[in-house]
Amino acid sequence: MIRSARWVDRIDLQRFRFWVQLTAFVLLVYGGYLALDLGSQLPIFSCGYNREGRAGVCYLLPLQHQLARPWTQLFSFAGIGLLTGFATFLLWFIVLNKGWCGFICPLGTLQDWLTAIRKRLGIRYSLYGERTFNRLSWVKFVLLALLLLIPLGIGGGFWSHDWGAPFCQICPGRVILPLFTGDPEQLTVDFSSVGTTLLTGGGMFIAGLFIAGSFFKKRFFCFFCPMSALHYLIAKPALLKLKKEGAKCTKCGNCFNVCDMEIRAIADDIERTEIMTDDCTLCLKCVAACPEPGALKVEFARINIFEATEDGFLKRMNQGAPRDGSKP
Amino acid sequence: MAANPDTPLFNRTRQAREAEVMLNKLIDEFDDNPASMHYFYDLFRRLFIQGEKVAHPPGAQIGITCIQAPEELIRAVGAIPIRLCNGAYHYDQIGADLMPAKSCSLVKATLGRLHDHEQGVPRVGKLEAIINPSTCDQKKKAGVMMEELGYQVHDLEFPNVKESEPARIYWQRTVRELAVTLQRLTGRRVTRKNLNTAMARTRRAQMAFRALHNLRRKAPSLILGKDVFLITNAYFFDDLERWTSAVEALVAELKQRQQNGFNAAQKKAPRILFTGSPPVFPNLKLPLLIEEAGGVVVADETCSANRMLYDLPAVDEWRVNHMIDALADHYLKPCTCPIFTRNDDRRRRLLDLARDFAADGVVYQAFSGCQVYEMEQRSVARTLQEAGIPMLYVETDYSPDDMGQLSTRIEAFLESIKTRKRQARTQRA
Repeated sequence: MIRSARWVDRIDLQRFRFWVQLTAFVLLVYGGYLALDLGSQLPIFSCGYNREGRAGVCYLLPLQHQLARPWTQLFSFAGIGLLTGFATFLLWFIVLNKGWCGFICPLGTLQDWLTAIRKRLGIRYSLYGERTFNRLSWVKFVLLALLLLIPLGIGGGFWSHDWGAPFCQICPGRVILPLFTGDPEQLTVDFSSVGTTLLTGGGMFIAGLFIAGSFFKKRFFCFFCPMSALHYLIAKPALLKLKKEGAKCTKCGNCFNVCDMEIRAIADDIERTEIMTDDCTLCLKCVAACPEPGALKVEFARINIFEATEDGFLKRMNQGAPRDGSKP
Repeated sequence: MAANPDTPLFNRTRQAREAEVMLNKLIDEFDDNPASMHYFYDLFRRLFIQGEKVAHPPGAQIGITCIQAPEELIRAVGAIPIRLCNGAYHYDQIGADLMPAKSCSLVKATLGRLHDHEQGVPRVGKLEAIINPSTCDQKKKAGVMMEELGYQVHDLEFPNVKESEPARIYWQRTVRELAVTLQRLTGRRVTRKNLNTAMARTRRAQMAFRALHNLRRKAPSLILGKDVFLITNAYFFDDLERWTSAVEALVAELKQRQQNGFNAAQKKAPRILFTGSPPVFPNLKLPLLIEEAGGVVVADETCSANRMLYDLPAVDEWRVNHMIDALADHYLKPCTCPIFTRNDDRRRRLLDLARDFAADGVVYQAFSGCQVYEMEQRSVARTLQEAGIPMLYVETDYSPDDMGQLSTRIEAFLESIKTRKRQARTQRA
């Protein structure tokens, strides 16, 4: 057991993540062709508009549809469907916690691939910086509130169904993911009413922003993701946990430095033991970049599965350095 | 040896005699010095007592006056960083002509050594430039005095707050500008390749240090603290690869010692954590007195050892810009220097080291005139007291005059620790 744990601690996390992400992407975007169906309560952007290839549907789509039911239905029999749907979503979610974002979400993976292209081209990354970061952190919660309230308003008769599934309409996943199965149908603006025009137009615009933004800024979109906000609100019972032992932390800032989401607390917070914040994607790069044994670790159902070690750190840093024959 | 005509004269200088007295004590008063330590004993003997010049491959030599000057950048442009912080009482007295009488010995000695130019020991030859991070007031002001002595000084603007983001950005910019300065100075560009090589070289040295550091957790002790200070002092000026190989050899020897159940100290030797003003050879009097009195220094929190070599930088994307920013973070964020506004990290670090290394007590050295260390004494003492760790605060300087008095205080401190431990044992029994 100890032997195998040692081996895991020395893992090349970047490569491991790449293969997990690629596998998950292929399964989720093309699995439908193999009649794979994981249901429609997935805690990731496995887009339902990718009708042919999808192997499961992002929970936000059915959630918004269910909430838009007339209130008389919603507060009686349809409420049961809503609750069971949420329960299924919760069960999926608690297995990996936000690890769904860092390892499985196709939209997250796409951003990492754009990052990889930028790296290949030798272009520097951009950062939000602390001030912008603080200014942006509430956006995802507002989006989450809107995506719940607007459908409720439709059900209550305040708005027309043109505003249905509002978040899906502006989500870059709807525009981009179907393209991977050769379906350009979502690449349009629906001018049939003011609502649809605004939403689908916004969707097109945001999709463009998504591609440009995540090319220059690592995980550009995740800062605004309402799914990420929802995750954070229900993260307490999750099995996969990111733990920090403040006493062992030297605040060297390595974890903050490599964090795609620019989460400062990972380095500076020495009080909290459960260090996953609302923006975290559990990509675990921080653990891989930590040279302080045991300061950061990953637990699954309270079992330590991966932790910071000097050995692992050294191996990853020596490997991560450019391989151009400049070994000392 | 006729090539060096002043050798016979040299070893009769005050500087050489001071070094010889200290080195002989460090070696002769202890049995069972590790065989691998002879590299370092020999190095100090040749450089400090015989006045030999430090052997380095060709390259511009750049003096640094603090650990905050990023050595990887200096090495990337093919130059050699030489840490100038000096420990000689002889130079302290020369420096006293340049600084106010009540200044810190280390700053005075550093100036005094520079005053002797290429004859200053350890002899490293010509210094192309000196990088002087703006840390404490005395070092800050010493920069101009070095300029007056004829050196080219580059002030490295260092923030005195480290928690805030503006400070971090400011420091990153400083470090980027240093890269430009170094490029101008040496005519070589900092590239991804040479910076990576430089970082890998330093990383190897740091890992060797960490291996040594980790072995000091072991009880019984495998090595004495006086030897470790000598080793980390050698890092100031020695050739990087030679130093690293020597440490790696020592680590291998200590592992062998561990297998043989060796004990470098007495059986119930109190384990001491050393903090405060940095011991720099030949001023190793406090570590020496502790270990002469039967204690063993198992860890330290000083900028001449642990703080200089322990923390490791991480890079996410290996491009020059990101590498330089990561280096900047590494030289600022984990630093526990008392010049910063707050000292929470220093106190946390001490507690962590005390626990990890099973330290029985802490010895806190403050050089007279080093206000920041003097001022942090109370808060550090309180933190340690709350954790139940006894602390001895020693205000001293480079003068050997107080050794008798210090030795009495240290013996009493170690005795009180032994009594505490004995009482704790009987209470438990």
